Amino acid sequence: MPKSLKDLRPVYVVGVGWHRYQRLSGTPYVSLGLHAIRQSLADAGIAWTDVESSYMGTGYLGMAPGLPMLRYLGATGRHLVHVENASASGSAAFRHACIEVAAGMADVALAVGVDKPETTRHPVTGLSSLANDAIAFFTHYALLMDQYAQEHGAKPEDIALVAVKNLYNGSLNPNAHRQEERSLDEILNGRKLSGWLTPLQCCPVGEGAAAVIVASEDAIKRLSIDPDRAIRVAASAACSERSGLDWPVDVALTQVTMADALQQAGLKPQNVDVLEVHDAFTIEEVQYAESLGFCKPGEAVHLLKEGAFNIGGKMAVSPSGGLIAMGHPVGPTGVGQIGEITMQLRGEAGLRQHKGAKVGLAHMIGNGPMCYAHILQKP
Amino acid sequence: MAELLKPDLYAQDGTTSAPKHPSLKGGKCAHCGFVFFPLQAYGCEVCGQSGDCLQPFALAGSGTLIASAKVHAYTPDAKAVAADVKPLEAPFVIGTIKLDDGPTIRTLVTDVDETTLKRGQRMMSKLVPVGTGARTIVDLRFIPAS
Ligand SMILES: [Zn+2]
Repeated sequence: MPKSLKDLRPVYVVGVGWHRYQRLSGTPYVSLGLHAIRQSLADAGIAWTDVESSYMGTGYLGMAPGLPMLRYLGATGRHLVHVENASASGSAAFRHACIEVAAGMADVALAVGVDKPETTRHPVTGLSSLANDAIAFFTHYALLMDQYAQEHGAKPEDIALVAVKNLYNGSLNPNAHRQEERSLDEILNGRKLSGWLTPLQCCPVGEGAAAVIVASEDAIKRLSIDPDRAIRVAASAACSERSGLDWPVDVALTQVTMADALQQAGLKPQNVDVLEVHDAFTIEEVQYAESLGFCKPGEAVHLLKEGAFNIGGKMAVSPSGGLIAMGHPVGPTGVGQIGEITMQLRGEAGLRQHKGAKVGLAHMIGNGPMCYAHILQKP
Repeated sequence: MAELLKPDLYAQDGTTSAPKHPSLKGGKCAHCGFVFFPLQAYGCEVCGQSGDCLQPFALAGSGTLIASAKVHAYTPDAKAVAADVKPLEAPFVIGTIKLDDGPTIRTLVTDVDETTLKRGQRMMSKLVPVGTGARTIVDLRFIPAS
């Protein structure tokens, strides 16, 4: 039988760091990444020489951009691998860093995401399509929104409340791309992109970096890391699409992946205090909260209206601001979610603190789609 | 006779169940029965068989609407526009359609008031002119069944 993370030796997040997500600028990616990594090392209270293995999630920086950045942390010459998995590149980097530590092949590993997005180059498969060149990401999700709205009688202006909440959360987050609170009217009155989607219901794609250090219990003792600030990685689940899933596949895939993660951790949907999802578009957050099993299909919009997903509500969803406010620089996004949940479970999230948070789930979808779910738990 | 813009994806001829509507060039796996679109020879997405197992299968140009979206913002990729074809201009409507023969496709929908499009609406295929010059070039669209 294959093992899950929980069957191997325990892995903990011990350090987190960011470079703010922001509009593309002249800042080299090297500066962005080094800033986040140094912050994560300082947060863990360890040195670069203590890190035995590095996983770098990135989608746009070209072939093997890691060493031209990591070399400025000092001459260690340790293992480095690059992970490209579309929007889930950072989540994949984190998963593999955890697996290496859990397997006992390293005591301390770094997962770092860095990116400066440009135009996406899609794979050339040799097959043509009826209209794929006319279906941008926002149209893919406008179609999901229409399907959801018609199935459940949901109003588009209610779904847009996701953006109101997440932009508010982002206004409390110094690392967020968008830090300005917006009213429902401002959000709805933006330029129409596709279906009901306006720009503030879609994530900004800019530059940034996020870093997370994971460590074994041995390393926590040996390096005198504060065990009270170490957060257990309780589950790691990952799937990719297969033919035959119900439409929309993003939702079907999320159900399977989140259920696997909950099963691994021995938890129920209602145990999740903090949820960070791939809310690149408002409709996604509503659907993935239902995919988690936190409520029945069609109920999430009502919970959203009641404030159940606010910080301080029943379950804080996207307390970082989510992709809509925190931003979606691609490589960093999945790593940054782990950082936010770690801060929440430590009780160090400041103005964004969801009181008493003990369990957090990070969910990410990469175009494909590939899906990830990680559960973090306060020991 | 009109030229098809994407002859690898559809044909003028209909099928027995929808004789008046252009068919889509799909495939069927002789091993597991999976029906797919578009036709390809790489391998079956369900059972993995390849080679002679993958047979051409004409899909009826009829189906049911799952979702639709009116696209307001669109910049065509100049390199992707074929010669003598007028580039697609926003606004236009995209529909997710479950074909009666199995596969779910996403395609351009025309001749509609998108505000009245409801899921479950019956949809049929149609060829529409997209040429700019003397050549008659047609491309596939779906329209609501009357
Ligand atoms: Zn087959």
